[in-house]
Amino acid sequence: MPAVGQPLPHESAEGHVTGGARYIDDLPRLAGELSVAFVGAPVASGRIKSIKTAAARTAPGVACVITAADLAGPNHFGPIISDEPFLAEGEVFYLGQPVVVIGAETPEAAAHAKKLVKIECEELKPVLTIDQAIAARSFIGPERRMTSLLAEDDQAYAAAFREAAHVVEGRFHSNGQEQFYFETQAALAAPGESGAMHVTSSTQNPTETQAVVAESLGLGFHQVVCECPRMGGAFGGKETQSALTAIMAALVAHHTGRPARVVLPRDDDMNITGKRHRYQTDYRVACDADGRLVAAEMHFYSNGGAFADLSTSVMERSMLHADNAYHIPHMRIVGKVCRTNLPPNTAFRGFGGPQAIAVIENALQQLAERSGIDAWDLRRRNLYRDGDPDRQLTQYRQIVREHVLEEIFDQLDSDSDYRARREEIKQFNTGSRTHVKGLAVTAVKFGISFTTKFLNQANALVNVYTDGTVQVSTGGTEMGQGLNTKIKQLVADEFGLDPSRVRVMSSSTEKSNNASPTAASAGADLNGAAALDACHRIKRRMKDYAAGLLGSAERGLTPAPEHIRLEDGLVYDNREAGRANAIDFGKFCAMARRERVDLGARGFFATPGVDYNRETGRGNPFYYYTTGAAVAEVTIDRFTGELTHDRTDMLMDVGRMINPGIDRGQVIGAYIQGVGWVTNEDLRYDDSGRLLSTGPTTYKIPNVTDLPRTLNVAFIDNPKQSCNIRRSKAVGEPPLMLGIAVWAAARDALASLAAGRPFDLAIPASGEELLMRITELAAPHDAGRPQPAAAP
Amino acid sequence: MRDHLVFYLNGARLEVRGPAVGRTLTDFLRYGDAPSTQPLTGTKVACAEGDCGACTVLVGRPDPATRRLVYQAIDACIAFVYQMDGAHVLTVESLAVDRQLSDVQQAMVDCHGSQCGFCTPGFVMALHGLRANQPSSGLSEEELRVGLSGNLCRCTGYAQILEAAHSIESCAAEPLDDRYDAAQIATDLAARCRESVHVNAGPSAESNGKPQTTTAPVEAFVPATLQELIAARAARPDARLVAGATDLGVQHNHGKIAPQSVIVMSRVPELNRLDVDEHELVIGAAVTWRQIEQATADALPEYSRLLSRFGSPQVRHAGTLGGNLANASPIADSIPLHMVAESTLRIAGPDGSREVPIEDFYLGYKELDLHADEVLESVTTPLPGPEVQLTLHKVSKRRDMDISTVTAAFWLDMQGQTIREARVALGGVGPVVVRARRAEAALQGQRLSLDAMRRAGRAARDEVAPISDVRGSAAYRLQLVENLFVKCLHDLSEASEPASRTA
Repeated sequence: MPAVGQPLPHESAEGHVTGGARYIDDLPRLAGELSVAFVGAPVASGRIKSIKTAAARTAPGVACVITAADLAGPNHFGPIISDEPFLAEGEVFYLGQPVVVIGAETPEAAAHAKKLVKIECEELKPVLTIDQAIAARSFIGPERRMTSLLAEDDQAYAAAFREAAHVVEGRFHSNGQEQFYFETQAALAAPGESGAMHVTSSTQNPTETQAVVAESLGLGFHQVVCECPRMGGAFGGKETQSALTAIMAALVAHHTGRPARVVLPRDDDMNITGKRHRYQTDYRVACDADGRLVAAEMHFYSNGGAFADLSTSVMERSMLHADNAYHIPHMRIVGKVCRTNLPPNTAFRGFGGPQAIAVIENALQQLAERSGIDAWDLRRRNLYRDGDPDRQLTQYRQIVREHVLEEIFDQLDSDSDYRARREEIKQFNTGSRTHVKGLAVTAVKFGISFTTKFLNQANALVNVYTDGTVQVSTGGTEMGQGLNTKIKQLVADEFGLDPSRVRVMSSSTEKSNNASPTAASAGADLNGAAALDACHRIKRRMKDYAAGLLGSAERGLTPAPEHIRLEDGLVYDNREAGRANAIDFGKFCAMARRERVDLGARGFFATPGVDYNRETGRGNPFYYYTTGAAVAEVTIDRFTGELTHDRTDMLMDVGRMINPGIDRGQVIGAYIQGVGWVTNEDLRYDDSGRLLSTGPTTYKIPNVTDLPRTLNVAFIDNPKQSCNIRRSKAVGEPPLMLGIAVWAAARDALASLAAGRPFDLAIPASGEELLMRITELAAPHDAGRPQPAAAP
Repeated sequence: MRDHLVFYLNGARLEVRGPAVGRTLTDFLRYGDAPSTQPLTGTKVACAEGDCGACTVLVGRPDPATRRLVYQAIDACIAFVYQMDGAHVLTVESLAVDRQLSDVQQAMVDCHGSQCGFCTPGFVMALHGLRANQPSSGLSEEELRVGLSGNLCRCTGYAQILEAAHSIESCAAEPLDDRYDAAQIATDLAARCRESVHVNAGPSAESNGKPQTTTAPVEAFVPATLQELIAARAARPDARLVAGATDLGVQHNHGKIAPQSVIVMSRVPELNRLDVDEHELVIGAAVTWRQIEQATADALPEYSRLLSRFGSPQVRHAGTLGGNLANASPIADSIPLHMVAESTLRIAGPDGSREVPIEDFYLGYKELDLHADEVLESVTTPLPGPEVQLTLHKVSKRRDMDISTVTAAFWLDMQGQTIREARVALGGVGPVVVRARRAEAALQGQRLSLDAMRRAGRAARDEVAPISDVRGSAAYRLQLVENLFVKCLHDLSEASEPASRTA
């Protein structure tokens, strides 16, 4: 039985449940190992006047104290724009920005030494918010623009808005989100011979880690190996920002010649690492009397933080998802990244998609409220339509094809019993004095590929041993998403082996050079395809050899590699009845080695057909799209604003699943993470740029009791899809954006209190946000009551 | 007087003294402080503040009635080794025998209950803890959810973890004690729990309370009688009194407090009494929230219901009433009830005991009427009579495992439809939990109506001055205060509807 398509358990599941799976802090202590701590900037913006380290250097148990002056190479890095210093020098740009790194014998000694370091700064007024950045003209990268074909004509664009039946406009706010991976940023650096460095890092990006460590130490890339056995979660937060901890550990190891480990305490991690970008969007969206979208204008501003990191790329993806699943003929989009004195914001599952999709879904709710057309019907009417020349072209000129968006809506309509529940909710809201309910559907169409073309490549190494077992290594990293399990299934099937005979090795730059980060949901697509390429190379050699071995003039079998099969742990010629003369795969491998057949190969894959010009905002950035929709129902307490998520029905097209158990976990996990973003995950800062929510005590990710009572997750078959490995689709990010359905349901609930009056609702719709909006909507009915101030 | 700690770890008897005594349990497990143990890194630390459950372990203590060990899940990251005296600690490493997974472990594997795996050992232990104490009927969906609400997971969205739990609910739970000579362990521990302990005698208490820069061993007293407790308190006025340590552990991990001597109160019988009759409830200061939640299920169901949202299951297994009252947080979940019930605190000192009404106990923000040589012994709470309508409210950002934004208690002594006396306590609106006297006055003698509650709510709004903080703005808190009066009314009418139907 093929392994692909089976819900095999995660390849580390036994390790997870027994505690045997090791993360960075679980690796055995090395002889002479040092503990690493850092001292960060005392202010969000300022000029460094002095860094006093003498007392720390002589404190008991301190092995080294490192500042920017100790760096061997240039003091800057960055995945797109190299503007971020390894250690602050001259100026500091966000609170807690690493300035001094300490290596000490014990964590206690390191903590003590930290207190002895004095960093004196001339404090400058920080730029913290998007409005402050706009006022100060403080931006990162160029302004980007995207204009749909029909919106290129100024008059046609203006006319589309002018002649529209309904236009909604406003300013939409969505707050950031902390990745909250359970394993904090961590790295273990061990010096090798002749200045070489081995870094074990909890990173989605071993190649980038190798590069920044080499640069910070002034070494050639070949002197550094970065390895990642697994991560305790990442969600984008370890795509670039794992670099800082890796550098800290490597600097200490390099300067002392001793191994060094750093595991950030949770509050340090939350204080200094970037998060999902906060967005502020000025928008205008118009539809005709039938609810057909005719025009949309969006000006996205994101809070990028102090350095570029991935912010321009995140903004690009926002602009590419401003349409979401809906065809909008006239569309103009502007994107600007604000430079502020917060930690550099970075990748987080969805990567700019959620912020943009929330804007259009909000506008659709508003248009439904305004026009009286049911919000479901409004959305259904505006979906991209496969094969319809008038309804398939995106604002960036890619054709959306081979999708089943309309089928998803139609199936979900009946599966979720939407119409009947809409009626029930209407009656409930008429009758209840204490609670208000809402129901909403939202969609997702998520483009799969890195929008930066060169990243769409992967390589893999496959080694077959003479007992018939296999090791696979790819540049992809395992963060819990099940990549290694899928790779194992794919490779096992290629050789006709039980998956237990395939082992996926830890990712290492020694085996996979120049790899892309495991990101953009494309880990299995890219690395799976590269692994298969390696398998195919080995299999060609195996088949050539087997053809000679199994061919027989006596039995009338001319040697024919195309008739050789690798199945069920056997190698045989399929022209022989009953698999006669089949050879055990292990024995076959041993024989092949003795005949000097190469049983190892490196595979490579580059995604075909992707090309996008970010200057013009046109092209085909995506290989294909993953799509889906969700219907959510909520109940809100009118006195406290507390929201209960009652039910969700989801339907996704994720292609033919390599592992349905893992994909289902990805869908639910992403969805609930999205629900967290739109409900209770609330990053709060004070006026000095200090994060106030620095741990789970104050930052509330969803709890098991927040899971809806009814959660129906279903998958739809898409017979049209022709591309990608085993006709599977990427699944990691897309369902996160369906969490917006819960927010839309909250908006729907408030709309029933609004009686036609316009209102705004921000993300997250926390209890506070909801109660303040409910209070405003109730105010005119109850004159004389004090008006509450708007939520910050 | 024993001069070392005795406890069992995964079936092995340990005698502990020296620096290991003062370490957190997770440090002790993970970094192998005990010379006889290998590092047990299966127990993870993800937050170090008892708010995620990744560090969940089971702590078994001998039940005097059954002479068996009763296991409960706690957060090991905010527990200290000195609290483990007399206990059997089980970590995730104890479960699989000869590589044979436990039922919970196998179900988690089969149902895709793990993704990144970092929270997984905590969930496995929490599930084992739930099953060890489950009724023969198994656990309902609600019990499972609340039972697991002390464990966060960022990857799975929980659904497959719940599926794993459901997949084994019809099977009898595997007894945890099958793995060890449990009878012998229980007997040994029962005897040890009658002993007083004084470990690492000697270090000076001068720098007590300040962050430590060296790893001086912590001096720990575990008195077995009230007299010993009072004597130890008098001898070491700087020592930290410890019961559940659920707050101390957090402060310790944030580098704010590193006591050099501690007095563990958990063993003193007077502090463990829990008596309910039809008029009053007497709770010892060292009684845990889980015990109170169970004991009040019939006698004071509104309190029991509120307590199901107190902290997390792990915190309820460790934290105590005395700790919550003496910690004196304005958002302590328990205080509003005791304010409106007008509970009396019994305080023991060298010259005997005295009693203080709870309202007089709080002098200011975290300031108490409790002298350096005194300890809180117990709390006596009059139970509401049939004329009294009581509602308790907790508003927090997240339903479970969250700290309150605002708390409230309404105690309405009714004469028919008229409010004879109203007592209202509000938390999260100032430095201490307060009685809302103006709102109470506004309700006195009024018919219980929407209008009366609205007016009282506005009056209450004017007598509190909340601050804006990470949990909510001042404006939000004021609105909540006002609204909770109306919510109280609706809650009461909802509760009375079924009754009126039967009548």
